[in-house]
Amino acid sequence: MLAPNPCLNIIKPCRSEYDQGVNTFSPEGRLFQVEYANEAIKLGSTAIGIQTSYGVVLAVEKRITSTLLEPSSIEKILEIDSHLGCAMSGLVPDSKTLIDHARVEAQNHWFTYDEKIKVESLTQAVCDLALRFGESADGEDAIMSRPFGVALLIGGVDEKGPQLYHTDPSGTFTRFDAKAIGSGSEGAQTELQEGFHKSLTLREAELLSLKVLKQVMEEKLSGANVQLATVTKEQGYRILGEAEVNELVAAL
Amino acid sequence: MLGFELRELSLNFFILSFYSHIFSPPIDAIIDMNTGASNIEHAFSPYTDNGGTTLAIAGEDFCVVAGDTRQSEGYLINARYSPKVYALGNNTVLATGGMHADGVALVKRLSQNLEWYFHKHDKNMSATALAQMLSTVLYSKRFFPYYVWNTLGGLDSEGKGCVFSYDPVGNFEKQIWSCSGSAGHLIQPFLDNQVGHKHQSNVKHHLLSLETVLKIVKDAFAGATERDIYTGDFVEIFIIKKDGVTVEKFPLKRD
Repeated sequence: MLAPNPCLNIIKPCRSEYDQGVNTFSPEGRLFQVEYANEAIKLGSTAIGIQTSYGVVLAVEKRITSTLLEPSSIEKILEIDSHLGCAMSGLVPDSKTLIDHARVEAQNHWFTYDEKIKVESLTQAVCDLALRFGESADGEDAIMSRPFGVALLIGGVDEKGPQLYHTDPSGTFTRFDAKAIGSGSEGAQTELQEGFHKSLTLREAELLSLKVLKQVMEEKLSGANVQLATVTKEQGYRILGEAEVNELVAAL
Repeated sequence: MLGFELRELSLNFFILSFYSHIFSPPIDAIIDMNTGASNIEHAFSPYTDNGGTTLAIAGEDFCVVAGDTRQSEGYLINARYSPKVYALGNNTVLATGGMHADGVALVKRLSQNLEWYFHKHDKNMSATALAQMLSTVLYSKRFFPYYVWNTLGGLDSEGKGCVFSYDPVGNFEKQIWSCSGSAGHLIQPFLDNQVGHKHQSNVKHHLLSLETVLKIVKDAFAGATERDIYTGDFVEIFIIKKDGVTVEKFPLKRD
């Protein structure tokens, strides 16, 4: 026997009437499924991005839920191209679709124009896909039945220098000097506001990101449960090894 | 030469049999077994060579691209002023030799791509990016090519003059000087000697001044007009500098 649908209760109409179609606006002008997708991100692990004039730093916490878990199998910072990196929070599989798309866009641009795609253009390309959910318009094929439950921090270097962008499930993208996403994002964002200044060096930014993660993480900070990457003009995208992270943790 | 010769019985089926000629020997006339009458042959050749000559020379901080303006078909002159060199709007100039209609179609497509690129990436396409894009566009029509020999001129990311030359399917090469078209083979050794300082002893290769380049270009076209019936009427010379493109037009012999 199925439970009665609360939405059929005429005396007390509930807002979930507007949850049925993913692209249906509520009378207040909201898209609930997109808002719920934003909620999914607030359950995700914390990720941090900091832009400096030397490069961008990306840092994420890895939730080691079991002592039997192999930490290196959790990958929350990924390379998009040699000059672009991405940290994610939210539903990991959803991020795979977005990042695969981003990688194809970056390679296509290189193939056609023999130049590296701009960070903003790449971010825009990802957000174009983020909006392709629900029923598809004529001639356009939607690939997702629901919004992507993932937020990305895209860091990269192009002719305009190092840049950090944040994308969310609504397909909005915004540029930040420093940004935190995920479960600890509220506290982390406040910490970043305190610690950030325009003249941070790359190492200072690495230390700041770890300091902020340390404050919002439940477990003790170590090379095994955080991941760090930098994107610089000189070296491009580079993920830091466990030993390097341990060295930074020790320097905190 | 990339010419298509197609022979078939009915134009209605020309698309179906577009490639069939590759696999079957050409048939000049088919004898109908019942009536003994022979059918009239239909040939479809989508390409024509409209002649003309183009060249480009790169300098330290400029680039010159030039082409004559005669458009011919066999022994006929279709037009005395039909430009085949185009300023593309992003401080690059494209010279298109070969078939005029294909050149027009190609330039239209490139201009559209330049516009889209500008809106998508919020910047003008660089000469080097355009050079790669042109190759990609040409190769995308590998099996029904634009019948065009392109020469692209512009300034690279350091502001130095650059020239790229292409074949119809998109092979390309960055060069300092280049010429092609109906009098290309006449001009090439002249440029090799005057621009590349080839076959000269005790001369170190150096990039030429704009003044010298313009003299060489005019001499090259005047000389080509003397010997090549497809080159003449006018030469249009485009000069690309960091602050824009200027055009000069000079008369050539009209015979």
